[in-house]
Amino acid sequence: MSYFRITLHRSAIGLPARTRGVLAALGLHKRSQTVYHPVEAQFAGMIMKVKELVKVEEVERKLDKWEVKAERRPDSGFYLEKMAPRMEDEGQKVGSRVLARLRGEDESQVVEGVRREGGGEVRV
Amino acid sequence: MSRTLLRSLLELRAAAPARPSALRPALTTTATTRSLHQTPSQIDPLPQTQSSAALPPSPPKPSPTSIPRCGGAPRTTSPATPETLQLLPLLALQPGNKYLQLYIQGQSYLVTPGDQIRLPFKMPGVVPGDVLRLNRAVAIGSRDFTLKGSPYVDETLFECRAVVEGTEAEPMRLKIKKKQRCRRTKTVRSKHKYTVLRVSEVKILAPGQEGQQ
Repeated sequence: MSYFRITLHRSAIGLPARTRGVLAALGLHKRSQTVYHPVEAQFAGMIMKVKELVKVEEVERKLDKWEVKAERRPDSGFYLEKMAPRMEDEGQKVGSRVLARLRGEDESQVVEGVRREGGGEVRV
Repeated sequence: MSRTLLRSLLELRAAAPARPSALRPALTTTATTRSLHQTPSQIDPLPQTQSSAALPPSPPKPSPTSIPRCGGAPRTTSPATPETLQLLPLLALQPGNKYLQLYIQGQSYLVTPGDQIRLPFKMPGVVPGDVLRLNRAVAIGSRDFTLKGSPYVDETLFECRAVVEGTEAEPMRLKIKKKQRCRRTKTVRSKHKYTVLRVSEVKILAPGQEGQQ
């Protein structure tokens, strides 16, 4: 099934309560927030009420919240190549997920191709 | 040909006698037709090698290891073209340090070996002595040549390592919040930490030669 990818492009500050209510019903609370709703008449009607404020795209797959965040996150630009020896009782405990992300082993950073930059191949 | 370019080419010839013969005829003809005493009236543009800049945009192919789009730094890296690989030894063999324009967490930095970078954040999970490999470069350059990626340079063409030196802290900032006609004040204290890196080496990995520093 296909989904509407709805992004709030204009802020709701200064707009009537009814319009803000529609945005709240869609789940849009701040500018540049993205939500996914199935392509149905009720969601299409809500979009029509706030069509001047949002940007809409039809997509096949609905992304989770962490996937939407991963889209916006830039490349870290580095990975941990060699670790210096750690002291036994570190002042700050570091989780294994943080170390995995530093080493570049964190698979959650990579999302299956939903959108790509134009031109050129993509390499990890 | 500009005087600086001619000088660099003569230095290259003196530095590396065993270069691929395909390059030699092109360089010697341009060098012998003019003498050092001439002041040329036109300046040749410095060769700017771009990886796959001429390729037409291909339709997106679904790939399990694709990088999603992001609103900050560019996300794609294009593999190096044969033209790039042929001209890369010219860049690598030039004397002097090479510079890199890197992206770390979406912010760009221009570094040479030995530079200190103060990141605007504290990197979690690293201790002084950790070696980071920086792999997102937008441009690599030497004295006379620049390699520009579209938008990133192929990772297999260079190596850049930075050592974590430690953490710095800003001076303590006090934000005092007080409303008019109310005596109560609220003080917010801030003392942010920043990770400091030292770029230890910048190497160009030209094919068929050892990397030059």
